[in-house]
Amino acid sequence: MQKNSLERKETLQHMTLILPGMLIFTIGLIIPLFLAFRYSFTNWDGMTIDKPFIGIQNYIKLFSDVYVKDAWLFTIKFTLWNTILQNIFALLFAVALDSSIKGKKIYRTILFLPCLISALVTGFLWLKMFSNVLPALNDLLGTNINFLLLGNKDTVLSGLLIANNWQWVGYWMLIYLAALQSIPSDLYEAAKVDGASKIRQFIHITIPMLAPAFTICIVGITTGSLKVYDLLVSATGGGPGRASTSIIQLIYTTAISGRQYGYGCALSISLVAILLIVALIQVKVLRKKEVQA
Amino acid sequence: MNFKKICSFTMVGIMGATTLVGCGGKTSSEGAITTPASVEKKDEAAPASSNEKVTLRVLAGQSTTDAGIEDMIDEALAKKYPEITLEWECIDWGKDFQPKMQQYMQSGLPDIMIGKAQDIATYGAQGLLGDLTGKSYMDNVLGEALPGVTIDGKVYGLVYNALYQGVYYNKKIFTDNNIAIPTTQEELKAVIDKLNSLGITPFATHHADTWSIGNITMQFAINDVFNKFPTWGDDLRADKVSFIDSPEYRSAYEYNKLIFDNTWKDETFSLEQTECDARLVQGKAAMKVSGSWSIQNFLDIDENFEFGIFPFPNQTGDAKLIFEPNITLMKSAESPYQEAIDKVFEVMTTDKELALEIYNYTKTASMLKDVSPTFPNPSQVDIDKYAASGQIVDANTGNNQLQWGGFQEENAKDIAEWLQGNASLDDALKAADARKANSKP
Amino acid sequence: MQKITEFIKSQRIYSKSKKQEEKETIKEEKYTSSTFLLQVFMTLAALFFLTPILIIFNYSMKTKKELYIGNPLALPETFNLSNFEAAFNKLNLVVSFTNTLLYTAISVAILVILCGAAAWAIARAKGNFFKFAYVYFVIGILIPYQALFLPIYIIGYKLSLTNTRLGIILMYIATGISFGVFIMTSFMSTVPIELEEAAKIDGCSIYRTYFSIVLPLLKPAMATLTIMLSFQIWNDYLMASLFVSSKKLKTLTVAMQSLFSQQASDYSTAFAAIVISVLPIAILFMCLQKYFIKGMTVGAVKG
Repeated sequence: MQKNSLERKETLQHMTLILPGMLIFTIGLIIPLFLAFRYSFTNWDGMTIDKPFIGIQNYIKLFSDVYVKDAWLFTIKFTLWNTILQNIFALLFAVALDSSIKGKKIYRTILFLPCLISALVTGFLWLKMFSNVLPALNDLLGTNINFLLLGNKDTVLSGLLIANNWQWVGYWMLIYLAALQSIPSDLYEAAKVDGASKIRQFIHITIPMLAPAFTICIVGITTGSLKVYDLLVSATGGGPGRASTSIIQLIYTTAISGRQYGYGCALSISLVAILLIVALIQVKVLRKKEVQA
Repeated sequence: MNFKKICSFTMVGIMGATTLVGCGGKTSSEGAITTPASVEKKDEAAPASSNEKVTLRVLAGQSTTDAGIEDMIDEALAKKYPEITLEWECIDWGKDFQPKMQQYMQSGLPDIMIGKAQDIATYGAQGLLGDLTGKSYMDNVLGEALPGVTIDGKVYGLVYNALYQGVYYNKKIFTDNNIAIPTTQEELKAVIDKLNSLGITPFATHHADTWSIGNITMQFAINDVFNKFPTWGDDLRADKVSFIDSPEYRSAYEYNKLIFDNTWKDETFSLEQTECDARLVQGKAAMKVSGSWSIQNFLDIDENFEFGIFPFPNQTGDAKLIFEPNITLMKSAESPYQEAIDKVFEVMTTDKELALEIYNYTKTASMLKDVSPTFPNPSQVDIDKYAASGQIVDANTGNNQLQWGGFQEENAKDIAEWLQGNASLDDALKAADARKANSKP
Repeated sequence: MQKITEFIKSQRIYSKSKKQEEKETIKEEKYTSSTFLLQVFMTLAALFFLTPILIIFNYSMKTKKELYIGNPLALPETFNLSNFEAAFNKLNLVVSFTNTLLYTAISVAILVILCGAAAWAIARAKGNFFKFAYVYFVIGILIPYQALFLPIYIIGYKLSLTNTRLGIILMYIATGISFGVFIMTSFMSTVPIELEEAAKIDGCSIYRTYFSIVLPLLKPAMATLTIMLSFQIWNDYLMASLFVSSKKLKTLTVAMQSLFSQQASDYSTAFAAIVISVLPIAILFMCLQKYFIKGMTVGAVKG
């Protein structure tokens, strides 16, 4: 009986540790989410006082809107390529920095520096790089490489991927590096005794041991890329035309400039739902792999 | 190692110190912010008397060329009415003014808003803005500015300065090659051919900025469409006209193609304004469809750059130079400080030194009577010439018919798609018709 | 109490042995030709990552004319700091810098303590409420607050939090807490439970245990979180532009935005402003790098 009440008191105290954070979180993010959910059933323009209820019309419109389709296509392409490229390069750099090369610290710092800069500035910087700095390099070297990636619908994606990878590879590299360094060296020694080659060691020891890091990086990169906005604002503004309009950017222009706030909210809600589903699937699949390994 | 330690200690120290200061500062600033709100309520019955201290909230939608004028206004105001303080909130007009206004419509407008004249059409009709009709300070404002800011006979905006829009051209190239100013499409085409044969790029463009496409399209439309059909936008919404069936709007779109075919095609979608302006100054191109916002750039790059301006020729050869009322002051209808706001507006319109300072700084034209800016502006000769012959038209004839954000802006994206070959001209025109529900300012 | 000191001793020994281990692994591998290839590869990569940053510095010292007309790769003719001066004035630097520092420091400090507390409670206490709390917080990572800004503003306004320092700090906490709880919870497995049990036997309350035992052990996690959140909040644009746009409450990014605006002409000043805004956070990273990487080890190994 006494033990029970002690436990209850402890649980209560534990709860008080959570509650302040939970309260702020609820007010700052969850209630707005529910408000957005409510507005998504109206055709409110974001300004007037009355918010006429129109049922699920906004959600029906979502499926036939060609701009929504294009924005999703762009966002998905951007996300897929980012997930692939950033993981490959981050792992590659991490492996390189885990070897016995000299000056590791300098490399590590240089690679990490870009993610200290805001995405807004990164976009602006790469706009200048592509239109101004790199063409000057052409003149210098006498080459004729097309660096005007952001100005063409066919190359704008690759231009943005370069900018985004430049900014974030160093961050994920640090995570892989940390994971690599925590692999106990006796595992490799045992493998050496068994006569396993370096490549076999990498496949059979390194990769499985990196599973938790893979989970963090893959989930982090996909959810981050699906939410891309700041970078686009200053690099392309969604252009040329609409070629690089991401879903968040479409939400912003629809709700604000287009004064279709209700429809914008419906878009937001669908985005949150998709983000949730993607993350859940990823975590499920990746965790399963972790266990198997 | 030691250096690092010192660094980290200082950083942590600074952070810690500011945290402490912050706690103190926070309460005081909160006080400062909440007080006006509480005073507001008390004052509603008895409006602020002339000597009482008043703090007015000002939302200023600016472009970079305007940033900095708030200090000039503060200074001039402090001289005449030291009891009035302005609490500025300066934001980017193009990107943030509408979201901010949307925000404030939920919570109550600031006392003074500074936007563009076209904002009057958007917000004036909602009964949010204070009526300025018959105020004595309005007498100092040029009459030309009034129609654009009048709704149902009531004036809602004080237009302070104006931008001129048209074709800015490199005077040296024109005189060196004996090129006359074109007034018809045929003449323009002849000029383009001549420049091409001389190896000079006819037009400087920067389509990386979608707003530039939107802006030049509106310039074309003002002279080809709205000059003849002043209510074209209303007619569009009443299903009487459409983009796809309007030969006038079609030719306004087609000029985009003409320009695109005579500029640095491969580069334009990667270039933004500064780079483009610099090339015009350097003589790499001869003309640029633009507005006064380029002047600051021109003069920064070369203070002796000789440039002029002419209206982009239309189908009928009677194109006018476009002036766009820019800085426009509005007051909140709900504000309890009407008297103080009027005092601020009075200072803005009567203090000629202040006006001169602002015009020279922003490189813009005056909208006040008896004040003309004194900064060197080679295009002023041209402006005066067109003004004298009445060949001037207010940009609001178009902007008050078709909304900029969400409509013109979106149409510009369609045009970009068309120029890049992803869609046809008909697609672009149909897309504009399809979103006409968003076209009302 | 004895147990605690014993434990701390053992921790010290452990950390020492780990250091030795690290040294050994470095000795072990040889510098072969393939390592040399790696070195070349990494140097090229580093060059790619460094160039844009050097361009920022280069541009920040150019005059407007040099920037627009000159060769972009050329160095500025004179070592000219006038852009920094202009940036200083245009950004209202003293005010915006202090504001940014203030918001960042306070919200990060509160976040770190709150996230630690919540994560610890989630890891230790049993019951469905705590499981739910974890999921509840973590879902927040997936909510793009960029898409919710008008409702966020409406809530903020109803609580009269707009254009106040308190408001922006609370909002940073609300949007940062998900990530913080996620990271902190994954760290919790490295906090030995024995110590807490000893404290419980000694009769410490939950709060005291948290502040005097758990929090000190969370140092590496706190360092990680501090850095991650600091640069997020330091660079935040949207939330700051929503909540603190009046001139005396502005942050650096909001002030800087006006230099990039649509009809902007002032890029040389903008680049100087970038340098000014990035420098403090870069210095912070370089100083805390060691802790940061140590902290990440734990997070990555135990996702």
